[in-house]
Amino acid sequence: MDDITTQFEECLRRHLRSAKPNPINYDVELVQLGLDSMTAVAVLMDMEKTFGIRFPDDMLVEGTFRTAGRLKEAVQLLRERQAS
Amino acid sequence: MTRSLPDQSLGPEWTILELLARGIIDDSEVQMVRDLLTTDTLKWGELLEQALRHKMFPMLAHQIMSASLRFDVPTNIYMHLESALEWNRWQIEVMLAHQIMSASLRFDVPTNIYMHLESALEWNRWQIEVFRRETVRVAQALADRGIPFVVTKGMAFESTLYDSLGTRYMNDIDFMITPRDRDKVMTVMQELGFRPFFDWAKDARREEISSRLNPDHLPKLAREIDQPGIRLIDIDIANSLTWTKSPFDVPVEEALENPVEQPIPGMSGVNIPCFRPIYQFLFTVLHLFREAWLQKFVESGTDVGLMKFGDVIRLIDRNQNKLTDSELLRIMQTHGVTDAVAWVLRHMDETFHTHAVELLALEKHGNEKLLRSQMRSPGYVNAWSESMRGRLQSKSRGSVRPVAPAHRGS
Repeated sequence: MDDITTQFEECLRRHLRSAKPNPINYDVELVQLGLDSMTAVAVLMDMEKTFGIRFPDDMLVEGTFRTAGRLKEAVQLLRERQAS
Repeated sequence: MTRSLPDQSLGPEWTILELLARGIIDDSEVQMVRDLLTTDTLKWGELLEQALRHKMFPMLAHQIMSASLRFDVPTNIYMHLESALEWNRWQIEVMLAHQIMSASLRFDVPTNIYMHLESALEWNRWQIEVFRRETVRVAQALADRGIPFVVTKGMAFESTLYDSLGTRYMNDIDFMITPRDRDKVMTVMQELGFRPFFDWAKDARREEISSRLNPDHLPKLAREIDQPGIRLIDIDIANSLTWTKSPFDVPVEEALENPVEQPIPGMSGVNIPCFRPIYQFLFTVLHLFREAWLQKFVESGTDVGLMKFGDVIRLIDRNQNKLTDSELLRIMQTHGVTDAVAWVLRHMDETFHTHAVELLALEKHGNEKLLRSQMRSPGYVNAWSESMRGRLQSKSRGSVRPVAPAHRGS
């Protein structure tokens, strides 16, 4: 699988104000980078569009996007599932 | 209870709507509304636009007609270019006109404001009739399967708090169920012909994701119907008095115990279950708190309006005995919702000159930091320094940004 880091971070920066000027810390809660309930929807939709994936219902929960690290893992998992 | 009349610093248009929202209770208020409606400086465009924003158009119509003001309403306003421009801003009315025309109803386009208001009121009354029938249909199906539920908000209030005058506007029909019955209820609703509203939404996936992330409600449901002027019936089914993971909540199972049976006007012998008064009050207040305190509702332009406060004022007026005994306070304290209730009542008292905090003996409750805050996302709050009155009157609330960055809080 390709490294998705660049595209993933660009996607986050499009929606999270506090993520724009700084390196993204993958362990920090995304709410600290400006995520709220409306931007969460926008981020997930953008991830789906950017990577050609679809979050299943059981992944549409807060835990999936608590941190950038968790979200990136979810995106990678869905890409792998799709590829196989 | 005698209430002071609102100050007129925000103009006669806003004063009229504040008076109507809290309910006209004596001759001095009747006269004040009459005087304001007939004042030369009244801006009808502003009045009608704000009435639409706050879902008070039918109520304004009723007030003008019942006060015999037909010939005091300026008949030439429609001739002015300015008023023509204003009409375009009243999006709901444009939509309404379209619905009426496409339904081939022989209503003429109103030629003056009185006629316009009259038709809006009549349409609201018709919609309520249709909603009542649909409410009974859904309620019977849920009852037949032994599912505990209550009917909430507009349908519960229009006969008990608004005297079935057709003045309480409703977007949809609201129900409350327990979380454990979500799947069963979804099945029932599909059997009744309802589908998730995603199907009609502009961006179905956005609606779907948003709904999944907020499991305090079932996905909004809708059904196409063939009634003049009404093409779609929306039903909103909640399974929480507030929201997912709210720090302020009352267990829905407890709230649904011992509901009261409420008659449906015009349908002899037909009743619907509604919250008993204490839980009706708690739900209404906490629901208002949700819409007012959560930043997402502000940003989406769907946060609190005058009528939501009007519901609370009327609930207190009509249930004083039941709300002023010790049971309400005990329930609020048991579930840790006293500060949230005090948040609503203090803003309400400041805005409408009511005395709810004193009446319900909540003077010692309420959290100053909470009072001046909004929640951005779970665990994070922003400071908020606006007055509720200014916020309600503002037409660009979504553009108002918090005064300080979010910090961890309630």
